[in-house]
Amino acid sequence: MLMLRLAFRNILRNKRRTVLTMLSMLGGYVLLVLSLSVQNGSYEQVIDFFTKDSTGHAQISEVGYQQRATLYKAVPASDAFYQQLTSLPLVSAAAPRIKSGALAYGETKSFPVQVVGVDAQKEAGLSFLAEKIKQGRYFNAQPNSDGYFEVMVGAAVARQLQVALGDELVLISQGADGSLANDLFSIVGLIGSTESLDARTVYLPLLAAQNFFAMPGEAHYWVVLAGNYRQSDELTAQLNQWLADRPELEAASWKVVSEEFYKTMQADIEGGYIFYYIIIFLVCIGVLNTVLMSVLERTGEFGVLKAIGTSPSRLFFLIIQETLLLAGLSCLFGLLAALPLNYWLASTGFALPEPMEISGVVMAHMKGQWDLAVFVEPALIVIGSVALIAVFPALKAARIVPVDAMRGL
Amino acid sequence: MKPVIETRQLGRFYGEGDTLVRALHQVDLQIEPGEFTAIVGPSGSGKSTLLQLMGGLDNPDEGTVLLKEKAISEMSGRELSDFRRDHIGFIFQAYNLIPVLSAAENCEYIMLLQGIPAAERKARVYAMLEQVGLKGKEQRLPNQLSGGQQQRVAVARAMVSRPDIILADEPTANLDSQTGMDLLDMMHELNRQQGMTFVFSTHDPKIMERASRLIHIEDGRVIGEQRRDEG
Ligand SMILES: Nc1ncnc2c1ncn2[C@@H]1O[C@H](COP(=O)(O)OP(=O)(O)OP(=O)(O)O)[C@@H](O)[C@H]1O
Ligand SMILES: [Mg+2]
Repeated sequence: MLMLRLAFRNILRNKRRTVLTMLSMLGGYVLLVLSLSVQNGSYEQVIDFFTKDSTGHAQISEVGYQQRATLYKAVPASDAFYQQLTSLPLVSAAAPRIKSGALAYGETKSFPVQVVGVDAQKEAGLSFLAEKIKQGRYFNAQPNSDGYFEVMVGAAVARQLQVALGDELVLISQGADGSLANDLFSIVGLIGSTESLDARTVYLPLLAAQNFFAMPGEAHYWVVLAGNYRQSDELTAQLNQWLADRPELEAASWKVVSEEFYKTMQADIEGGYIFYYIIIFLVCIGVLNTVLMSVLERTGEFGVLKAIGTSPSRLFFLIIQETLLLAGLSCLFGLLAALPLNYWLASTGFALPEPMEISGVVMAHMKGQWDLAVFVEPALIVIGSVALIAVFPALKAARIVPVDAMRGL
Repeated sequence: MKPVIETRQLGRFYGEGDTLVRALHQVDLQIEPGEFTAIVGPSGSGKSTLLQLMGGLDNPDEGTVLLKEKAISEMSGRELSDFRRDHIGFIFQAYNLIPVLSAAENCEYIMLLQGIPAAERKARVYAMLEQVGLKGKEQRLPNQLSGGQQQRVAVARAMVSRPDIILADEPTANLDSQTGMDLLDMMHELNRQQGMTFVFSTHDPKIMERASRLIHIEDGRVIGEQRRDEG
């Protein structure tokens, strides 16, 4: 207790310096909280958007499909399968998809496209497909009165083929039975922009795709959503457990399904750490200076403390303790500032002056993350690095020869 | 009896070449338990240097200091600080109190290091401060005390942990003669009643009279010694 009182009074001794030091620690802490919050928040947004938009949180497919997607690896697309799947506790939504390539023809031109067959109703409740329609409307699951199935096309497809709403589109490909697949479709919707991830995609109703690729009652994979992308590993484990008696099927999380995207995200997040290192570095310089100063000033006193029997390690910890006390208090005060600021960031956020693109996902509005880690991690970082900084002056004090130190007194 | 402190061919030099100062040179001394020894000599003769080396507060350039027959040079930093904590009380020429701690806390500090329970610490500190005439001033910070009062806190601090030996560098130099004599009486009392060993330096002939042993030093060398029966 006396040691703590000693540390505390030493801190209060030079109030101006203490306030300045605390301000630099406090500022560093708040800055770290906010930047971590914005970074986590924006990646959360990007990953959340990306997974919902394209991969889902997990996918079920035939074993080997994720490594090498072929037309022939299929999963059942039955209602019974859907019912069982959606009754699993973690599953919040699911939809089957067929995905393959085709050559598309407009009036005069041809263009290689990606064909995605989706269950019109299930897909609407799972991905942003319906929201992405720029022109026209969402397609019907059944053929129109002329007997043609309706399709929606990406912006690049429409531009390359010079087709518009109401035009006809011909697709040519190969069916799963080896037959030649070709059919005529009617364009009812235009999707996204030429920058979108699915700019080169033609969306077909599932039934149309099943007919076209000759895979009745089947799909290539099921897209499954949990409540949140963070549950994707858990979800995948649950799906695999459920699939245990169907060894031909397997579940994979979005990290596997879109490994490239996942890796870019990881790299981006790591790149963001440089900013933290800079903040920490600045805080440390300020702190090193004050701690060194306060140790130098009190060299004589440390000499006395040592002369009357304080062990070197005790002196060492006295200084570390003082610094930790200062850092702890700074973070505490910083928390008072960071709580409302981050609450605003997480709930309201701010619009970016210019939209930013991260891995193909365009973001116009930044939001923070409201999470315990956002407050705790920066505190640990500040306290930890400050303690590390104090080691050098503390060692200096511990090694003092009492007489040399007391001479200055 | 085994000496508490022994010096062998002890030397401490400052500077080098032409400016070399032999602050202490070839000093052989043995301090035995229960002594009440004064180190006397003119200013600059090496009294402070000797006391500092005896307590391991400084490193000698020559020779060795043995504390209870163990060479300081062979002790770890921890061992040495523990030895000081448990066996040696220091009174410095300057008072050297910790400015942020009150008179009582300055005294309490060593006992805290020794792991003495709070209640006992408090009782001993208050009794000791009363003994040095500072009753009622226990909570004052050093800068709220006069020089003489600070010196008395320093004395109380050195003695309250009941060390075997007290090394005091001119403990009465900054006190008026009456206070100085009172302090000396108190030291003498502790020496006789509890067998506490005292080694102190002084210029004051009146104080020298009270010592049971006088060690004369000049220019860093011991030039003579007198022993006296208790008077
Ligand atoms: N740090 C130092 N650097 C150089 N010389 C020193 C140092 N400390 C002491 N000296 C010299 O060593 C000699 C002995 O000094 P010391 O302080 O031991 O004398 P003293 O007997 O205690 O004197 P006083 O009665 O004035 O206190 C002196 O000549 C002094 O100048
Ligand atoms: Mg001296």
